[in-house]
Amino acid sequence: MFDQFKNWYENRHEYAKEWKAKTGGKVMAYMCTYVPEEILYAADVLPIRVYGSHEASDLTEQHIFGMYCPFCRDCVAQVMEGRYDYADGVMISQSCLHMRQVYSSWEIHKPTEFMYYMPFPIAVESKHARPHLAAEFKIFIEAVEKWTGKKITVQDLDRGIEILNKNRELMREVYKLRLLDNPPLTGVECMHMTSSSQMVDKREHNQALEKLLKELPSRKTDRETGIRLMIVGSECDDIEFMEMVESLNSTFVADDHCTGSRAFWNSVEPEEDRLLAIAKRYLERPPCPTKDATKNFVRFHHVMEMAKEAKVEGAVIIQQKFCDPHEIDIPLLRKRFEDNGIRTYFLELDVTVPIGQFKIRIEAFLEMLRADELPF
Amino acid sequence: MITAITAGIDIGAKTVKVVILKGKDVIGRGMATTGLDQKESAEKAFKAALKEAKIDQKDIDRVTATGVGRMEAPYASSQITEVGADARGANFLNPAVRTLIDIGGEEGRGIKVSPQGKAVDFAINEKCAAGAGAFTEAMARALERPLKEFAELALKSTKSIPMNAQCAVFAESEVVSLIHAKTPHEDISRAVHDSIADRIISMVRRVGIEKEVMLAGGVAYNVGFVNSINIGLKLEVIVPEYPEYVGALGAALVAAEK
Amino acid sequence: MSDIKRYKTEPLKCWGKAKELRAKYYREYQEARSKGGICWSGGAEAIDVIPYAFGDDVHALTAEPYAAAIAFDPEFAHKCESALESKGWARDMCAYMRNYWGSVLIDEYAFGGPFPKPHFNLQSGFCCTHAKWFQVLSLWEDVPYFNIDIGTIPFWKEEHPNRLQYIVDQMQDSIEFIEKVTGRKCDDERLIEGVYNDSRTTSLWAKITELNQNTPAPLDEKSMYSLYVFTTLDRARKEFVDFYEELYAETKDRVERGIAALATERLRLMSDSQPPWAFLRVWRYLEQFGVVSTGSIYTIGLEGVWDIADDWSLTPREDLKSRGVELKTREDALRAMADWHMRRPIYAMFYNADWKSKLMVQYAKQWNCDAAMLHLNRGCEGTSLGIMENRTALIKAGLPVLTYEGNMGDDRDFDEGRTVARIDTFMESLGLNKLT
Repeated sequence: MFDQFKNWYENRHEYAKEWKAKTGGKVMAYMCTYVPEEILYAADVLPIRVYGSHEASDLTEQHIFGMYCPFCRDCVAQVMEGRYDYADGVMISQSCLHMRQVYSSWEIHKPTEFMYYMPFPIAVESKHARPHLAAEFKIFIEAVEKWTGKKITVQDLDRGIEILNKNRELMREVYKLRLLDNPPLTGVECMHMTSSSQMVDKREHNQALEKLLKELPSRKTDRETGIRLMIVGSECDDIEFMEMVESLNSTFVADDHCTGSRAFWNSVEPEEDRLLAIAKRYLERPPCPTKDATKNFVRFHHVMEMAKEAKVEGAVIIQQKFCDPHEIDIPLLRKRFEDNGIRTYFLELDVTVPIGQFKIRIEAFLEMLRADELPF
Repeated sequence: MITAITAGIDIGAKTVKVVILKGKDVIGRGMATTGLDQKESAEKAFKAALKEAKIDQKDIDRVTATGVGRMEAPYASSQITEVGADARGANFLNPAVRTLIDIGGEEGRGIKVSPQGKAVDFAINEKCAAGAGAFTEAMARALERPLKEFAELALKSTKSIPMNAQCAVFAESEVVSLIHAKTPHEDISRAVHDSIADRIISMVRRVGIEKEVMLAGGVAYNVGFVNSINIGLKLEVIVPEYPEYVGALGAALVAAEK
Repeated sequence: MSDIKRYKTEPLKCWGKAKELRAKYYREYQEARSKGGICWSGGAEAIDVIPYAFGDDVHALTAEPYAAAIAFDPEFAHKCESALESKGWARDMCAYMRNYWGSVLIDEYAFGGPFPKPHFNLQSGFCCTHAKWFQVLSLWEDVPYFNIDIGTIPFWKEEHPNRLQYIVDQMQDSIEFIEKVTGRKCDDERLIEGVYNDSRTTSLWAKITELNQNTPAPLDEKSMYSLYVFTTLDRARKEFVDFYEELYAETKDRVERGIAALATERLRLMSDSQPPWAFLRVWRYLEQFGVVSTGSIYTIGLEGVWDIADDWSLTPREDLKSRGVELKTREDALRAMADWHMRRPIYAMFYNADWKSKLMVQYAKQWNCDAAMLHLNRGCEGTSLGIMENRTALIKAGLPVLTYEGNMGDDRDFDEGRTVARIDTFMESLGLNKLT
């Protein structure tokens, strides 16, 4: 049922190349989920998010200092290996320092015809962020128009909004099924769905989602749900790791990370000024820790709500090694979980993870959770 | 004209190496493990080299010292850093060498060598990456095999297993997991050597890899490692006949030029 | 070594005053509350002229310089760091933040006594730690917190009206915030005076460091580290303006009379990033080779404000008064201040490796540097962003480069022996011997 998504995930570059050949359109490789994809769809440009490949590489050391996170190193490796050579444009919407480094190295060594750095606000809760961001979108639109030679109209923006919103709403439908006592999908399957949505034309993705939603509610799986887990953290598309965890009689039923729900959770609400509407959506989405910096701790509230709704029994907190924004959050977030009666286990991810080592730890964690269930 | 006899002494963290030159001909080599008393170890290595050269201490005109313990050789008339000595030695052995990779017990170095035998740029592994030499030895011990046998095993491997790329400590526990998972020892050996080679190559890329590339240091005897380096670099590195003496040779050459 | 040229040297006359001013600053913050004044804390990048406008009994504690002071005392730093680590925080986070947090957790002020809790925290953020640093602190301290997001692209690179407006609007909000917290009213006249002072302080620092383009260099970087700190403490203070006027005059005089920081100057170095504060003696070690470190983009441009031309050449920016900028209203003052601070060269470090490389190559040219020594700083991701690309760029520009790994705030990440060994190797490759 999820083969299409898995296939896209595994053959992302082939997909993008074929898409280009088929449509003659331009591909924009982007970093960070704060990129307003609505605008790119409006411009008929295909946005694809830059991912790592989870392979060790010896090409990064000369570009990046050792204490930068594995994800950004992996991304630089992809760029230097030439795996994104088909990209016509590259952009970043400002989040963390690490991704800025990826963008920089890309710009220095493999510049494309369109390079764009979008200064996305940090103070997402400030009332001034919205007009400012809308103005940034306008500057961006002008740059894109110059690049593609095509004017972006209000109708174009509406089309972009519609494609994105539909994708978000359909995936939210799938996420509702994760709340069931016996979810008809695993965390790994869900991950293939969400990550592939960042890799392919969302119109095709939407079709696949509609098909999936017809079959999924009545799907009979032969696996037990086991312990209900949530996975929380930074970028996480480590399929091998998630497969290992779910092979130990547990299922990921919720997530908060940017390759999962955080990227698509809310939709654009229609408004006369389309750019203000889009800005609102990105400012109010579940934040990346880099954008959650007031005493309101918005992110923690969101995560706890999700955990409760999904009746999570344990949370696996994962973090890309050296990711400061997450490192700042994690001890406080763990406390939030524990205060709400949900145990947590913390793991640092690298480009590749020592599965054997991690398995021992996860087994112990699950054993502990099962012991909690015993009535005596 | 009397040909000068000079010596180079390389006092490293693990071993002391001595090379004696008559003019530009090597007439003696000696090595000793660096004990707690560096002076004593240096003397031992020196004696071995003198014996091979069939000469007396007093026949030596000048000595240049290199290595971390180079200040512990009061009889040396000059000192040169390991990087400088390495570049000099490599250039003498093969003037076409532009990149030298030297892997010692505790430290790995990449050196960009000028046609004149000077070090024009260098990279040394940072604190976090454990010395390649010490790491392979620990891995061989984990497999309960002599180092040489452990290294040779890698050549028989047909499968490359990726290992954790950054952290030596994790890599070590990962090897233990591989052993428990009954992974063939050949593949484990290959994975260990690949992972070290990977880290070394990453570092050397900082100075740029230009042909010819020479591999120095005791680790160059490790055929598994050489194999992984060659695969990683997509070229054949030059392994000199006495790879661990490159620095001492460089020092002796400096003494000869004074 | 008699062929080595020897320049005349003299100790800096205003050195004692610098020490005194700095001690006074930390003392005043500590005593502010008990004396009925206001104390607040925030980063060195916080727009401190805003609290300044609330009276002359308002005293700041800026976080990075305070954390560097902690780092300078490894024993105290270890206490702070282990307090934090025992609560589960990672040791690879921003080292300044960790030192500061630790000091709050153990409730000890680096200059004696308990940690003086501020009335409020006011920060400005452009990296991904700045704003979160005070988010957590404000939770622990249970004090109000306001963050002004200045994470737009520096104005010397790109100017758009919305970016300036965004910052100004937040500054306006921050005034309301402080009024609410303190019950005081913002004194607009004092604000305007403070803005002029601030631009004077930061322009003067640029002018002082520009003088280091001379050979021999009148200042060495180790001393500069003690002098630049006023640009990070409370820039609007008149006494800091006065101090820099004095330092500027003295440095100019040194240049005119050929007074060197290092008598045996024969090689001019540029550095990068914050230094490992516990090991400034490394800079003295370099001097044994006749090497003077002239400064870096960090030293001149963390708070020094420069005009950066299209060809990346650097000229100190004349202060607002000298530029004839008239400030009449609060809005004028805020607008001028926001625009002013968005022109600091430091942003190159936090945004884009290529911009920083260009500035570094330019620095080498203007300050006549022969080599560079780059700190792979495990304590600050911001200043080490793109540092390996910078290394490559400098080498391409013909400058030999040494890198060493360390940490500005945590001495456990710095290996002195190995760093000295690297320096020896580097000096040898540059053909330099020790002069002693």
